[in-house]
Amino acid sequence: MSQLIIGQLLNGVIVGSLYGIIALGVTLTFGLTGIVNFALGAFMMLGAYATWYLYDVLGWPYVPAVFGAVIAVGIIGYLCDRALFQFTRGNLVNGLLVSIGMISVFEALVLAAFTTTPRDLTYVLPGALHVGGLILPKIKVAVCGVFLAVIFGTYFALTRTWLGRAAFSYAQNPEAAALMGIRTGRLQTIVVVYSTALAGLGGGLYASMYSIDPTIGSGYVLKAVEAAILAGIGSVIGALGGGIILGVSENIGSVFLPSAFRDAYGLVFLIAILLVRPSGLFGDRS
Amino acid sequence: MKYAAPTALLIALFAPLAVHSDSILAIAIYGFMAASLAVSFNLIFGFTGQLSLFHAASFGVSAYIVTILVTAFGWNFWLAVVPALAVVLILSLIVGTICFRFKLKEFYFAVVTMAFSEILRLVILNWNGITNGSLGITVVDRPSLWTPSGAVQISSGIAWYYLTLALLVIVYVVCQRILSSWIGRCLAAIRLNDQLGETLGIDVFKYKLLSFAVGSVLAGLVGAFYGFYSGFVEPHYLSISLGLDIIAMVLLGGVGSLIGPVIGAVILTALPHVIDLSAELRIGLYGSILIFVILVMPKGIVGLLGSRKNAA
Amino acid sequence: MLLDIQGLIKRFGGLTAVSNVSFGIERGEIVGIFGPNGSGKTTTLNLIAGILQPTEGSILWKGNEIGRLASFEVAQQGLIKTFQNPQLFPELTVAQHMRIACHLHIKRALGIGRVLTLLRGTPGELDGVLTRKIDQMLELCRLADKRGEVAGALSYGSEKMLGVAMGMVCEPELLLLDEPASGLGNDEISNLDAVLRDLRTHGVTLCIIDHKVGFLGRLADRAIALHHGAIIAVGKTTDVLDNSAVVEAYLGKKHA
Repeated sequence: MSQLIIGQLLNGVIVGSLYGIIALGVTLTFGLTGIVNFALGAFMMLGAYATWYLYDVLGWPYVPAVFGAVIAVGIIGYLCDRALFQFTRGNLVNGLLVSIGMISVFEALVLAAFTTTPRDLTYVLPGALHVGGLILPKIKVAVCGVFLAVIFGTYFALTRTWLGRAAFSYAQNPEAAALMGIRTGRLQTIVVVYSTALAGLGGGLYASMYSIDPTIGSGYVLKAVEAAILAGIGSVIGALGGGIILGVSENIGSVFLPSAFRDAYGLVFLIAILLVRPSGLFGDRS
Repeated sequence: MKYAAPTALLIALFAPLAVHSDSILAIAIYGFMAASLAVSFNLIFGFTGQLSLFHAASFGVSAYIVTILVTAFGWNFWLAVVPALAVVLILSLIVGTICFRFKLKEFYFAVVTMAFSEILRLVILNWNGITNGSLGITVVDRPSLWTPSGAVQISSGIAWYYLTLALLVIVYVVCQRILSSWIGRCLAAIRLNDQLGETLGIDVFKYKLLSFAVGSVLAGLVGAFYGFYSGFVEPHYLSISLGLDIIAMVLLGGVGSLIGPVIGAVILTALPHVIDLSAELRIGLYGSILIFVILVMPKGIVGLLGSRKNAA
Repeated sequence: MLLDIQGLIKRFGGLTAVSNVSFGIERGEIVGIFGPNGSGKTTTLNLIAGILQPTEGSILWKGNEIGRLASFEVAQQGLIKTFQNPQLFPELTVAQHMRIACHLHIKRALGIGRVLTLLRGTPGELDGVLTRKIDQMLELCRLADKRGEVAGALSYGSEKMLGVAMGMVCEPELLLLDEPASGLGNDEISNLDAVLRDLRTHGVTLCIIDHKVGFLGRLADRAIALHHGAIIAVGKTTDVLDNSAVVEAYLGKKHA
């Protein structure tokens, strides 16, 4: 029993780090542009398909394939920002609707190109680690490590570099930041593109663990938004924390409660948090 | 625009005399039901300013309850509508009370109603014994009408045409009467500046809840009929993407207008048939229209017509 | 006593915005509350209007406690507040604003019978009464020629007058005015002055807050001076204005 729980705990951490990397994009985009970008799920799906295409169809090695996918998704993100998102800055409802509309568009395009048939990547990193009676697939451990590295890397970049501090100060006080000479439009674009690239990375690594289909994104972005809100939207490390709390509670929850309702636990949690503590678990009280 | 609705109704009443195509009749029937959903949604979204993502859930829950009562328990259709609408009313009062008591605004209201809607969808998806899970339920029964010569099943296309047209007229008139009364003015006050409305003595919570509950029950009314025409109910009826289709219809036709959502719903229902799109591309088309309308013509088709008239 | 406030206290976290304020308002008088910025005037008004809930103390309206009521319930009791920065409904016309503000009149006139108007429309008789009343109020507030204008197109002064007109249509027994003169030009202030004197002849009790002493000094029968959330002087307006503590609060000790 305890082994089952520890196994589910680790699984929860791994899934949670995937929620976390997309939640990080949700949080950054919201902090700087004032919209919640639901389309990040679609970008994750695009990243997964791009990786699959480069790796399995074109025969690239896996790591360059992921890099290629991240760059491709970043470029699409840039185009979307110029063509669409820049017109919804600061308008939550319009931003929400435009980003949900984009999910349908991307899903439809991928469906038309690759059909609904789930795709599996041939094994990237076979084998498993045995730790005290637990079996951990190597690929999951590696992916989780990459996600953690990227999230902490982002945190340090935000606190230690000029661009990061500019982004932070903008999120705190847009007008003051603009007065100090920070080019807000460019900063917003950089953050939108970075968030989409993160989602692309999430998708590329997801594809090495699970089979992919055009609808994977919408489920995950919902989880990511839940994680970001749970943590308190705007908090970088909180996004990871929120993701892991969600991932672990789903996995542990399904040990004791019917697993069919695993997706519902997070939703109940989300409603409760929004009502009782709208600034999130790690946010400032206001 | 003043006579747009009566003229459209007159044309709709006599159209079947001129058009004898079963496929066009079917599009019109689906169009009327979509229009009813869009008009009732616009009461909550366009006129009260609350972006509810609960509308598809009200529609789907009612569709499931009526279907299950009729197919599994042998209830009369019309009798089954009563508990279905009662359940939708209670659900909307619960969700609305929670959201409005906590004064959830804009985005947070949308997220919480979406979360409730997803929870209901998951319950229906996983309650296999009653709902048959992801496969849904096939409906073969048809509602009957009592006439002097006995009960007549509503099964022909033309009968469904007039039944769904009547449904649309009922939904439209209910919303129209509400909006032209003092309630409509209270809803406008809430949408435009709820704090000011409150200091003028308007019970903001009560009127928000009223709008949400009436809109949801009307969606439930549409849901009660829908499965009996389409021939099946499935968990997709409660999905966020159906809610999105409704939003696209309202925005395309003209948010904050009564007739706008009818125009938007009929266009978006007919379009995939006119240009013969596969199901997946149809979803993409809805998404593109949604984006286009928000960014380029935020007042929709009615807004375009209106502004042209003003310019002339 | 129309309004009787006893020991009113409001704390925001560690900050005490209103500390132990007590005063009363009689029917038919014009009471001015003034004090420098941050002296707790607006907070006091918001507490009376139900926009904020008091930490301690009681607010009696005709002998009934209203301190815990929501702001719409306070408004329904006949106590209406206007805003310092005009709060309007963007995109609606002046006439539409007035029609919305008739909410309480319709509610009092028809009660639950309003439900019938869903079927039959508003009774013509009531409709006529409302139209006449709106016309009269717009006339009184010098807005009659602007009834078709959209709120966004009004001048700042007209926006503030529309706020007063909407408040008046609610048929208040006590109208609470939050700095009605701030941001107005001299012409507009003398216009406001005339409007408020007109209102008094219509039997409305007024409670006005302002930090401009001159305007209130001419108008108010009685004055209450606040400083740091506490009352430092009460009495006839001229007496309060001459009070040394009040002068000190305004000008600072050095200059007194």
